[in-house]
Amino acid sequence: MSRITLEELSELMKKAAGVTVAPQELQQRYDSGFDSLGIDSLGLLGIVGELENRHGTQMPPDAERCKTPRQFLDLVNSTLMAGA
Amino acid sequence: MSAFHRRRAAVTGIGVVAPNGTNTDTFWKSTREGMSVLDRITREGCDHLPLRVAGEVRAFEPSAAVEERFLVQTDRFTHFGMAAADLALEEARIGRDTVAQSPFSLGVVTAAGSGGGEFGQRELQQLWGKGSRFVGPYQSIAWFYAASTGQISIRRGLKGPCSVVAADEAGGLDALAHAARAVERGTDVMVAGSTEAPLAPYSMVCQLGYEELSTSDDPARAYRPFTTGACGFVPAEGGAMFVVEDEAAARERGAQVRATVAGHASTFTGASRWELSREGLVQAIRGALDEAGCAPEEIDVVFADALGVPEADRAEALAIADVLGAHGRRVPVTAPKTGTGRGYCAAPVLDAAAAVLAMEHGLIPPTPNVFDICHDLDLVTTRARAADLRTALILSRGLMGSNSALVLRHGAAE
Repeated sequence: MSRITLEELSELMKKAAGVTVAPQELQQRYDSGFDSLGIDSLGLLGIVGELENRHGTQMPPDAERCKTPRQFLDLVNSTLMAGA
Repeated sequence: MSAFHRRRAAVTGIGVVAPNGTNTDTFWKSTREGMSVLDRITREGCDHLPLRVAGEVRAFEPSAAVEERFLVQTDRFTHFGMAAADLALEEARIGRDTVAQSPFSLGVVTAAGSGGGEFGQRELQQLWGKGSRFVGPYQSIAWFYAASTGQISIRRGLKGPCSVVAADEAGGLDALAHAARAVERGTDVMVAGSTEAPLAPYSMVCQLGYEELSTSDDPARAYRPFTTGACGFVPAEGGAMFVVEDEAAARERGAQVRATVAGHASTFTGASRWELSREGLVQAIRGALDEAGCAPEEIDVVFADALGVPEADRAEALAIADVLGAHGRRVPVTAPKTGTGRGYCAAPVLDAAAAVLAMEHGLIPPTPNVFDICHDLDLVTTRARAADLRTALILSRGLMGSNSALVLRHGAAE
């Protein structure tokens, strides 16, 4: 199973939360809070739901509590790898 | 400001997103000209429904007015609300810097009658088409009556008292009164009004049970209150938001006082019991006049509820006569909403906007599509009528039985 890349996270942020942050910028803001990127708790929940539907895998409850892109990608990718 | 100064609520900004104009200027020009924009419904998925004619807002591009982050979370009725609030704040010259200086002294109140039907329908289709995992989380907030108040507050950083009035169509006037009371109690500025978007297929189906709904397919004949051809009302989308603030503070900061909110009262007489709405309107008008300290003869123009149901039209004409007496047969009455449709809670707020503009321009807009009046009223028809207007009375009734009256005074310094 493939890892979630910054590109995919950037696309999901736009689709689920209407927030446009280019992958390069997301790289620079890897440790910024989702809130400072304009993503609220429902937006992150939408991103998690979309990921689950795409990959057919349930994400751990902590996924929607992640504070930063780094935390989020670390968690969802370790979940995807464990299930692979 | 003296300690004995009684705060008085003034309107300093009006933002309109209506079927006949998506800014205040265009709205006034179309209203003044008596232009009717009622037309066959073109919204996707609606052509098989027996509701044929409505007032659609066609000249509104949500992405040009509101950031994508807010668009994905919200329904069309909130898109209208955010855009109208921006226009009103801009007119009142209240920018983001002003808000940032004292965010807790600015609040929001809206009225909503139909909620976020289009957004809700889309998510329910996901639910039944694909499954619960495909319903987006923003469904939890977007359909809700309070959504527009919340999103306007968040987007503009307005952290003062926020509320929503869910009180039937007449709630639109109640929201303006609520804002005026908040200002009188000490809040500096309220952003207040109503916008609605009841023209998605789901929302339209919800309305089909209303016996007052016009199912005529002729835009020129579908909504003709006060005539023998009255066959119900035509729904509409859009609405207006006002900036309401303390009159003295507004004058001190050099803002233009467009009108003052002088008096308001509301009553309840039961769903579709139109004969009883006569007494309900009488009590509401008396209450509003009392609060305004206004004699019946001082009313220069009446913006009628104008439901378009014979029994309701009769009740309203009699209520005006009951309270205003002989003056009731002389006072000009108008119902510009026959050219735009009736946007539920938004309808009386658009009337209030038209009333402020009418007082400023000394011109009473006409009642489109209405010529042959069968009640003892001086209804302004065909073309606008010039008049010196100091005081306007706005009436509204809801299908569920609420009745409200609002008195606005011209804003020129006394």
